[in-house]
Amino acid sequence: MELKEKLISMKEAASLVSDGDRLAVGGCAIHAHPMAFLRELVRQKKKDLTVVGSLNGLDVDLLAGAGMLKKVETSYVGLERYGLAKNFRRGVEQGEFQMVDYSDYLAFNRFHASLEKLSFWPCSYLGGSDILAKNPDIKEFNCPLTGKKYYAVPPADPDVAIIHAAAADVYGNVLMPQKRLVPQGVDVLMARSCDKVIVTVERIVSNDLIRRHNDLCFIPKYRVTAVVHAPYGAHPCSMPQFYNVDEGHFQEYVDASSDKENFSKYLDAYVTGVEDQEEYLEKVGVKKLLSLDLPTFI
Amino acid sequence: MKTAKDYTLYELLAVNISKMFRDDDVGFTGLVTGDQTAVMASMVPLAAMSLAQHTHAPNMTVLLAGMLHNPDLSKLTTVPNSEFEPTSVDVDSEAMMLGFPAPWCVNRGDITVGFSSGAQIDAYGNMNSVCIGDHDHPKVRLVGAIFQTEHLALFGREIITMKLEKRKFVEKVDFVSAVGYPGGREGRAKLGLSGAGPEYVVTDKCIFNFHEVTGRMQLYSIHPGYTPEDIRNETGFAIENLYDAKETPAPTEEELYLLRNIIDPKGLLLPRSI
Repeated sequence: MELKEKLISMKEAASLVSDGDRLAVGGCAIHAHPMAFLRELVRQKKKDLTVVGSLNGLDVDLLAGAGMLKKVETSYVGLERYGLAKNFRRGVEQGEFQMVDYSDYLAFNRFHASLEKLSFWPCSYLGGSDILAKNPDIKEFNCPLTGKKYYAVPPADPDVAIIHAAAADVYGNVLMPQKRLVPQGVDVLMARSCDKVIVTVERIVSNDLIRRHNDLCFIPKYRVTAVVHAPYGAHPCSMPQFYNVDEGHFQEYVDASSDKENFSKYLDAYVTGVEDQEEYLEKVGVKKLLSLDLPTFI
Repeated sequence: MKTAKDYTLYELLAVNISKMFRDDDVGFTGLVTGDQTAVMASMVPLAAMSLAQHTHAPNMTVLLAGMLHNPDLSKLTTVPNSEFEPTSVDVDSEAMMLGFPAPWCVNRGDITVGFSSGAQIDAYGNMNSVCIGDHDHPKVRLVGAIFQTEHLALFGREIITMKLEKRKFVEKVDFVSAVGYPGGREGRAKLGLSGAGPEYVVTDKCIFNFHEVTGRMQLYSIHPGYTPEDIRNETGFAIENLYDAKETPAPTEEELYLLRNIIDPKGLLLPRSI
C-alpha cells in the first residue's frame, strides 16, 4: 500500500459539492474566503445551496449574485469598509433565498455542537430577542439537573466545509500561521465540524516541512478529504501572511453588484467567462497581484 | 482644574465616556474606520478607555476589536482599517485572540463593559442591525446581529454610541437583535440575562441613560451648544425629562493634554478637524 495523496484539481474538488448541500465556507467578511473554489462552483452551476457560517461576506455575496442559494444561516453578511453586501441584500429583499439570523457567538457555537456531534447547543440568553422569536428551530427547555431555562439551538451540521489555508502537503496535513486571526480560527473550527473537508492552499509543501512545523498543523490529514493548490485563492479578499485586499478589484466588484445586469457582466468577465483560476489571475494581472504582497510567511 | 475652551466633539465624548469606567473594567470595542459613525463607534471608545487607564483606572483592560489586549496605541503608525486586516496581528499588545472564543470567557462575565452601535435603537434600549421592515420581506436588509446580542445580554453593561437621528432613535425597533429593557427593569430581570444591559447612549448632541424602574431612555446630559428642542427634533420617541438634564461637562486642560500628547500623539484615533 502507498501513502494516499489527496491533491486534486479545482474542478474535481468543486464536483464534490452536490446541489442542495449545506456549505461551511471559511474566512470572514473580506478576508481569507476560498474565492477561487467558489468561482468554480459558479462555473459548475450548483444550485439550492445553504451557506452556514458566522461572519460571512464576499463568499455569500458571490453565491447570492450567481443565484445559487436556497438559504443562509449566519450572524453577519457584509463587506466591512465596502459597506453592505449588495447581491446578498437584494436577494433577501426580493425573497430569492431564506435568511436565518443567529448571533455571532451562537453562530460559532453551532459549529462546536457539530464538532462534538451534539444534536443541539444549549444557550441561556436569547429571551426577548427576535433571533429566538423568528426561528422555529430553536426550542426552549429546562436543564434536567437544575431546572434552569435554556434554548436548544440547532447545530451547524454542514455537509461540506471549504477553507483556504496557507499550506498543506499532498497528504492533507494543513499548516495554519502561528499568529492567527479570527478567520483562521473559524477555518479550524469548520474543518472539525464535518467529515467532508476541502482545503485550497497558497502553497503545497513537503511532509518534511510539515514535520518541522508540527505545532502549526491544526488540521491533520485524516480530517481532510481533498487538497487543491490555489495560489491567490482568496483574491480579491486578503490572505494573512500572503497578500492584502485588492482594493481596486474589490471596488470594481462592489460597483458591479449594485444591480443584476452589471453583476452578470462581472460574472461573465471574471467567473463564467474564464476557464479556471489561472485565467482569472491572468485577467487580474501580474503587476496588480504582486503589489498586494504582505511581508511575512508563517 | 481648568476647563478648556477649544475642544472637538470627539474629545468631549472621549473625556465623558472615560468617566464611566471602573479600575477593574475589561472593555470591549469593535474596530471600524472611516466616517463619523465609525469614529464614534470605535475610535472614541478606544481613546476613552486609554484616557481612563492614564487617570483613574490604570488596571482596566482594553480589548481592541475584542482580540488585542491592551494595545499600545501610541506606537501605532496607522490604525488597521478593520478587525481582521492582516496587519492587525502586528499591533503591540499583551495578549491576542487566536481563535473564537478566547482568551476571555464571556459567559463567566469576563467582559464588564462593551460598546456597540446599530441601525436602530428604541425607547427601551432594544437594538437592531438586522433589517428595516418585516424580517422575511425586509425593505432594507442589513448586516445581521453579529455580537450585538451577546453585548447586551452577557457583558457587564453596555455603552452605545450613535449619531442622534430620528430614523435611528425609534419607539420600537423593527427587529430585536439585542435586548434592552422590554417590560422595564423588572421585565429584563425575568429574562434571566446575566448582563445588566445598556447603561448609556452617547450621541453627538447628548447622552442618554435609562430610567431606574421603567427602563425607558431619558436624557442624562446635553452637550454644550445644544438645546432640549435640538434633541427632541432628532429623537423619534418622547423624552420624559427633556428639560431637566444638565450640561455635559467640557474637558479640562489636563484631560486634553493627555489625549493630544500621550494617548493619541499622531491624531490617528480622534480626527482633530471636527
